[in-house]
Amino acid sequence: MLLQVEDLHVTYDTVYGTLNALNGVNLSIEEGETVALVGESGSGKSTLGLSIVRLLPPNGRYSKGSIVLNGKNVVSLSGSEVRRMRGTDVFMVFQDPLNTLNPVKRVSTQVLEALAVRAKKENKAFDQREGISEAIEKFKDVRLPDPEVLIHRYPHQLSGGQIQRVVIAIGLLLKPKLFIADEPTSALDVTIQAQVLKLLNSLKSEYKMSVIFITHDISVAYVIADRFAVLYGGEVSEIGEVSKVVKSPLHPYTKALIESIPKRSRKEGELVAIPGSPPNMLSPPTGCKFHPRCPYVMDVCRTENPPYTEADERTLRCWLYERPPT
Amino acid sequence: MAGFVAFLIRRVANAFVTIVLMIFLVFILVHVVAPTPIDMAKLVSPNPRASMQDLENIARDHGFYEPIYIQFVHYVEQVLTGNLGTDLQQGVPEVDLIAQYLPISFEMVLAGSILAVLVGLYTGAVSASNRGGATDYAVKGLYLVTWAAPIFVVAVIVQLVFAFWLKLLPASGIANPLLATPTRVTGFPLLDGIIAGDWAYSWSVVQHMILPALTLGLASFGVVTRLTRATMVDALDKDYVKLAYMKGLPKRKVVYGTALRNAMIPIVTLIALIFGTAVGGAVVIEELFNYRGLGYFAVASVYNLNYVAILAITIVLGISVIVANFIADVLYGVIDPRVRLS
Amino acid sequence: MENEVPLSGQSGWRFTVRFLVHDRAALAGLVIIGLFLGWGLVEGVMQYIASYTHVASWGWKLLPSDPISLSLKNSLAAPTLSNLNNLFGANYEGQSVLSQLLYATPHDATASVLVVASAIAIGMMIGIPAGYIGGWTDEILMRITDAFLAFPYLVLAIAFSVLLGEGFTTVLLALVLIWWPTYARYFRAQAISLKNRNFVEASKLSGVGPLKIMLRHIFPNSIDPVIAQATLDFGSVILLYSTLAFLGIGLELNYPEWGSMSSLGVSYFPASWWLVLVPGATIMVIVVAFSLIGDRLQDLVAGRLTY
Ligand SMILES: Nc1ncnc2c1ncn2[C@@H]1O[C@H](COP(=O)(O)OP(=O)(O)OP(=O)(O)O)[C@@H](O)[C@H]1O
Ligand SMILES: [Mg+2]
Repeated sequence: MLLQVEDLHVTYDTVYGTLNALNGVNLSIEEGETVALVGESGSGKSTLGLSIVRLLPPNGRYSKGSIVLNGKNVVSLSGSEVRRMRGTDVFMVFQDPLNTLNPVKRVSTQVLEALAVRAKKENKAFDQREGISEAIEKFKDVRLPDPEVLIHRYPHQLSGGQIQRVVIAIGLLLKPKLFIADEPTSALDVTIQAQVLKLLNSLKSEYKMSVIFITHDISVAYVIADRFAVLYGGEVSEIGEVSKVVKSPLHPYTKALIESIPKRSRKEGELVAIPGSPPNMLSPPTGCKFHPRCPYVMDVCRTENPPYTEADERTLRCWLYERPPT
Repeated sequence: MAGFVAFLIRRVANAFVTIVLMIFLVFILVHVVAPTPIDMAKLVSPNPRASMQDLENIARDHGFYEPIYIQFVHYVEQVLTGNLGTDLQQGVPEVDLIAQYLPISFEMVLAGSILAVLVGLYTGAVSASNRGGATDYAVKGLYLVTWAAPIFVVAVIVQLVFAFWLKLLPASGIANPLLATPTRVTGFPLLDGIIAGDWAYSWSVVQHMILPALTLGLASFGVVTRLTRATMVDALDKDYVKLAYMKGLPKRKVVYGTALRNAMIPIVTLIALIFGTAVGGAVVIEELFNYRGLGYFAVASVYNLNYVAILAITIVLGISVIVANFIADVLYGVIDPRVRLS
Repeated sequence: MENEVPLSGQSGWRFTVRFLVHDRAALAGLVIIGLFLGWGLVEGVMQYIASYTHVASWGWKLLPSDPISLSLKNSLAAPTLSNLNNLFGANYEGQSVLSQLLYATPHDATASVLVVASAIAIGMMIGIPAGYIGGWTDEILMRITDAFLAFPYLVLAIAFSVLLGEGFTTVLLALVLIWWPTYARYFRAQAISLKNRNFVEASKLSGVGPLKIMLRHIFPNSIDPVIAQATLDFGSVILLYSTLAFLGIGLELNYPEWGSMSSLGVSYFPASWWLVLVPGATIMVIVVAFSLIGDRLQDLVAGRLTY
């Protein structure tokens, strides 16, 4: 087991009080496995990624639970241990490509910084020229055009998609065991999206890398992932094999999500929006957080949050699948 | 590169136009106050009780009967060729007096401003990278109090503590008056002392400079802290900072190498402004520390109704602000490739 | 990402006040400023009555003592808790420091409010057209602004009050001249960033004239960051105003100023420390109060809401 997140609670301090962004997330990932993390905006996907790499914003706090990555509990690591973990054990590509590269430094400098850290961790001498040629190779892998020229540019001379791929390349150069990609393809156009996805897929088998793939887009997740985790209101409402979850969703929220994908065969397929709005995380609904929007709502849903249940080879939280109390 | 040259040329042109405009404003100000040629003559007449006949002669000599635009062209010409008039009290060219007083102030405010900038950058960065922590609140309290304290209170307290209680440093003057002044080469007291190899004098200059410079530094570092903290907080939230952490860089490198470098872009303008306005802002300090530089001269000129001197000082200090802004613009381009390369 | 969800639909006055009150430091600032401006208004009215009725004593009806006439018995009395009149001590002429402080408040309150308000008004009239119209208009207006910005503020203020004659109004005028260019720059930057927004484009397309767009759209949308800056500047104006008074600029007969009170006290320092330090501390407290609010408002404007 490479990663084991157990009962993770993360809160943000805000002017309005405490916001519970994650409420008891359980998630485990094997080596070489890809898990897609899907859910509406605000469901806590980025928060989960950031907590795994210990980069929560200053007002974010781990209030409960543990994250064991490669045998170490991330939550309680010291500063220098965190530094050793970042880059080698885990790497995360952030959501917004516009600001992910430092605008005042050349791309080459920023790539070399990463390589220098890697060399130091491996106790190897670091040679700039070798670093550059290694970087150029990796740039070719992520299909960056003219890598020899592009590497000497400044970020503002690159497009959003190019920046995104430079960051992915930096991540790959570091050869992390776990690669977290927060909507890595949202800034890319469709053909490049497909290329990057293919690339991630081939690299993950080549390097035996595990991947957490955060996305809104269920069809993308379907292509790339082995397992599927659905996040709602800071909780994992359903997690299981991709084929299982997508073909026969059990949780009413997952069902609604899957129905909302426009069917490619139906040209005028209308997008079914999920009725209601996402929960307000400052004062979430009592009981199951999905109950105000759930078509199958029962009395118990309004008062009590369902526990984790195993059903049909997956884990989910829903009273519908809970064995009636004896 | 060509882009950068064009950028430079544009900035030089801007600075030049601004200087001419500023001289124009001074010109207007003077003419509003002294609308007739005789009024103008009164302003520049060394003798406050000059007869009408004398005043008319003075007005004719200075060309005050010429059409106004010709007067303006003359005025600009004179200022730009370094003729700022003749001092009413001392009868020597104003330029010479300024050349005498400016270096004295310059040395002291340079020391004070460097202190302010270094302390400001450091405290701002530390406070931003420990946002919400005890250090952050301590820094905030410190800069708020020093910034909000009127400069005369800071000066008086500094004098009391360091000069009268601890008796560490002298409270007034530029150097020990008992020491002979070395021959004037550059006009900068410290530099001249060093050139002459007169260590006793140089040491005395340094000692006398410390308290006024400290006061200036104390009173102005808060502005730098405040802006540095704000821009650093914003920079530290950016994804490129997270990426730097992600690569495994140590915190020190991320804060100073990545975030501060970006945060510096707006701070450079402020720093230039601090240096540009420091001499003008040091008036109170020079007054209280009896530090006879340009600020002291300015206040003395005001009390003596020495209009020629006041105008000359205004123009010289104005030009120094414009030049400082020009330097800031250029530095902006150097730090930020987006400015330089677009 | 961070401020989307919790903030949606929350803005305007009520939110701003709630946001300020939530922060204990800003709340303290609000209270101090409320007292300062409130007292400034009350005492200002009293002084107006005094000058209107020619009965000078109206001016100190609410004060512990007459802040202007001599009372040599009380000369250099030290601060004491047992006598309200000498709470902050007395000066060489025996006048109560407390009475003088309170008596001088209207000038500082007026200066801060009037100077900042006029600077904003001028800055808006120069900055918004410069940013919105652009091109040569911008070039010319900005060069003028830069030229004003280059004036050495202290020297200009001094020169001004000498050339135009001493007095409160002259100093105010000089301060406005020093201050407006900063606001012109803020408004210009705002106008530039706003002019290509959809709602402006939309009104342009539907034939609304430039003047109306500037008044209806650009101005209301650019005022928030300006207000945050202005709050800080109220304090800065008071600092500069008292520095001028300290140098003896802009003083009026029989009107103590916080700066000039300090300045007169320097000769009795440190033995009679209260003469310098009490007015100095008063200025400091008020400036700090303004900046506590200003800092918080700036956080609000910059979207640094959560921490
Ligand atoms: N710095 C922060 N301070 C306060 N609240 C925050 C902060 N960052 C995120 N949140 C809140 O935490 C919740 C989870 O946010 P998160 O960014 O993890 O969602 P997400 O699933 O990544 O959404 P998206 O798809 O829009 O990226 C949201 O309600 C969000 O408003
Ligand atoms: Mg996200």
